Amino acid sequence: METTKATETIEKNTILIADDAEINREMIKFIFDEQYHIIEAEDGEQAINIITEYSDKLCLLFLDLLMPKKSGLDVLSFMNEEDYINYIPVIMITGEATDETDEKAYELGASDIIYKPFAPNVVMRRAKNIMELFEHRIYVERKLEKRTRQLRESREKLERSNEFLVNALSSVVEFRSLESGEHIQRVKYFTKLFLKYIMKFYPKYGITKEKASLIVNASALHDIGKIAIPDSILLKPGKLTSEEFEEMKKHTIYGCELLEKFKQDENEFYHYCYDICRYHHERHDGKGYPDGLKGDDIPIWAQIVSVVDVYDALVSKRVYKDPFAVEEAARMIIDGECGLFSPEMLDCFGLAKQELFAVTEGEFSFADVMVK
Amino acid sequence: MTVQEFYEEVGGDYNEIMSRLRTEDRIRKFAGMFTRDESYKSLVQCINDGNADDAFRAAHTMKGMCQNMAFTRLYKSSHEITEILRGKDLEGAKQMLGVVTEDYNVVIAGIEKLLA
Repeated sequence: METTKATETIEKNTILIADDAEINREMIKFIFDEQYHIIEAEDGEQAINIITEYSDKLCLLFLDLLMPKKSGLDVLSFMNEEDYINYIPVIMITGEATDETDEKAYELGASDIIYKPFAPNVVMRRAKNIMELFEHRIYVERKLEKRTRQLRESREKLERSNEFLVNALSSVVEFRSLESGEHIQRVKYFTKLFLKYIMKFYPKYGITKEKASLIVNASALHDIGKIAIPDSILLKPGKLTSEEFEEMKKHTIYGCELLEKFKQDENEFYHYCYDICRYHHERHDGKGYPDGLKGDDIPIWAQIVSVVDVYDALVSKRVYKDPFAVEEAARMIIDGECGLFSPEMLDCFGLAKQELFAVTEGEFSFADVMVK
Repeated sequence: MTVQEFYEEVGGDYNEIMSRLRTEDRIRKFAGMFTRDESYKSLVQCINDGNADDAFRAAHTMKGMCQNMAFTRLYKSSHEITEILRGKDLEGAKQMLGVVTEDYNVVIAGIEKLLA
């Protein structure tokens, strides 16, 4: 018994016939009652109650137009409000064709209109076609939904793995220099904050949510080239000689050489990584390194990482300096005492400043950051 | 009385009903249902009560049943009264009701003989 019940619940093989005259219901019922389970409604109100109760079992509804309490059109409106109309096909049964009500019934989602008197085999054929169509559509929709969900899940998984690998790779340099704690995590976070303002106030740069997420990930790799800098320079306690500094500057080039070994020309992410590695020490006035690019010749993503890198360096403790207070660091950047940035970058920095401060002194505050 | 004789007597279309319902047993069953239906009673009542809307619906239902049963003569008069009531013309309906009643009584009497 239990099994039968279970199958009945899953199988949609119940037809609802809503008509106020028994004889009219019977005219349809005898066509289908060998193959289907039939439920009858004598008026629109009953029809609505039955639809609500048996919605998952109904495979078809025959609906009379003119009924007491609620009309056929009322039932259709109800089915639209509750979305049943997309899962239960409706065939209207009517005595005469009036363009107005026919049009209205089709508008409300009726699949077909059959006029009295009707031939049983024709009604059977049309009903079966409509049920097949609905079944197929619902099947395809469910399949598509499932597929979309699977795709999204595997994409998210891939993104997480990607982020993990990028983080692991970037932290290699940090691990070696022991210098700035979680500098990379902060640069990522600051870049994300910065991009939020760029997207909002500078649509001219064409940064979308998808691009932003790639740029944030790429920002982690900005100093990857430092892996090629000898310990004597990278770990030197104190100021570098000008010769040593020239070597240190090459980390931008080294980073790119490293990336070029795995070049993916058609991959957007590769280009963000490359540009950020190479150009995050360029200056708006063309006096940066390694290529001396000027203004907006410097890719916007490299300009962003440049600002947040400078800010983080200022508020962090280094072997050769104490950390600056956040307000002071911000003033130095805005006054051009440390690096030189485009007006747009400075504008965004001004907008993002308070949030940067909050983060610096909040969740990303570390022993090497002076807290005022 | 055969089903064919019955259809001839009440002014119906035997060939049409046979093409749709296929068996005489089924036609008899439906004819029995027709006698139990209350639309005619309701039509008379609503016209007397001056309730044009419900009278229209009763006439409409009756017309639909006659279409289904291929009771051509009764279909014609019930169709006419339906259209009169669609225009809410109760006076016109009262005049038409006589014809409908006459046709209806012929059908009911015929069914009684058919099922006797």
